[in-house]
Amino acid sequence: MMNMDWAPIWLTFRLASITTVLLLLVGIPLAAWLSATKIKLKPLIEAIISMPLVLPPSVLGFYFLLAFSPNNALGQWLEKAFNLRLVFSFEGLVVASMIYSLPFMVHPIQAGLENLPPSWKEASFTLGKSRTTTLFRVLLPNSKPALLTGIVLSFAHTIGEFGLVLMIGGNLPGQTRVASIAIYDEVETLNYAAAHSYAALLLVISLVILVLVYRFNKRLTV
Amino acid sequence: MIELDLQLPRLFADGQGELRIQLSLESHSLTALYGASGAGKTTLLRLLAGLETPVVGRIVVDGDTWLDTSSKINVPVQQRSIGFVFQDSALFPNMTVRENLAYAAASPKDALIDELLQKIGLESLAYRKPDALSGGQRQRVALARALVRRPKVLLLDEPFASLDATTAQSLREVLGDLHQQFQTTTLLVTHSQEDIRQLADRKVEIERGRVKTDEDKAPEPTPMWGVITKLDRENGYLETDTMQIRLSASAPWPNDLKVGDEVSLSWKRRI
Repeated sequence: MMNMDWAPIWLTFRLASITTVLLLLVGIPLAAWLSATKIKLKPLIEAIISMPLVLPPSVLGFYFLLAFSPNNALGQWLEKAFNLRLVFSFEGLVVASMIYSLPFMVHPIQAGLENLPPSWKEASFTLGKSRTTTLFRVLLPNSKPALLTGIVLSFAHTIGEFGLVLMIGGNLPGQTRVASIAIYDEVETLNYAAAHSYAALLLVISLVILVLVYRFNKRLTV
Repeated sequence: MIELDLQLPRLFADGQGELRIQLSLESHSLTALYGASGAGKTTLLRLLAGLETPVVGRIVVDGDTWLDTSSKINVPVQQRSIGFVFQDSALFPNMTVRENLAYAAASPKDALIDELLQKIGLESLAYRKPDALSGGQRQRVALARALVRRPKVLLLDEPFASLDATTAQSLREVLGDLHQQFQTTTLLVTHSQEDIRQLADRKVEIERGRVKTDEDKAPEPTPMWGVITKLDRENGYLETDTMQIRLSASAPWPNDLKVGDEVSLSWKRRI
């Protein structure tokens, strides 16, 4: 274990951390909007957000690969406008992971907000406060368990990604070779000891995170 | 003066119908809305607050138009000068009592925050969270929070409904005192005759979305003055140059009352 290559582990946690932070920024407004809106398209939007729950990651990965490829319009535009190549790059993994883990962030927060008594939001409005102030001062502070669930699920789900990463990122050391890919790669080359090191480490870290979360959540809800 | 004319299709207990209410409320008055559950009382408060929008309607408060569907005016709830007390008090659990008031106040250092905390008798609990308060204490805080913005209109949705009789009575007294001090035009939804008797200047009965009865409290009678000419404590009889008063023999008389004293008689009418 001392001689193992730590880069895939660091890369995995870097990817999971960045994805989770960005997902929070996107997921909170989206969940807040979904919890309040009455537009007719809501079921369609909810279905699109939930797609990663049912689709095989390789399907998503395949379409991301096509869409972000420099041979296609979107990929070309991203390169021209932002000098950004999303296939076989860390940035591509972040974008794909965000879409892949979006329901894991949005669903718990949306459910948490929908479970709050409607009178809290209305009381804040009658006190002259805007939707944004109400969200950040009243609704989110009273939805801490839901926020924590969203953060942990998104983080854990990103750590556990495999098919999607393989499709869009490949296996570039330091760039896209995350722990799950490294495990697969080591098994392919029959290096079971190295695979076991990565696998055991992921197992322990994931368990520790989840135990801490359940303890913290219990403190918040009891 | 508040003028309301509101129409909204609504589902009543016996099927689809229409809420249609026209009311004029005197400034500084306290009007009680009563009637069966589901008659549309709470909906009326919510329409006035801007939490719901009528299909057709007009709301004018002290000359300001808050709603006029014919000219597409609909002032958002945040910009209407209202205080709303919900049945469940709707205090924010993440904030202390004082923070709940400060959140609503124009400035967190507004002197009115501490003044109201003192008026509702909860200064000592200012740094407690709502979870640590009783139902009656929570409603007092909700009332103070609604008033700390100095609203033009105070809307109370059955604030005493979940309280026991003693707690309800003490909250009624707090509300009565605050109404006397702030003179905020108030609409109180209630099922209790006691609320109406003790607090209201006017009572409006709502039935199936319409005003069924509307009774004003008659103006207070002018007190009468007189000089005592005859005093018979044993039989509870008192006579002055202007009136004769007969009380039960057990009625408490001031001990030092004597012939030649000037007395005044004033009384309150009940609606």
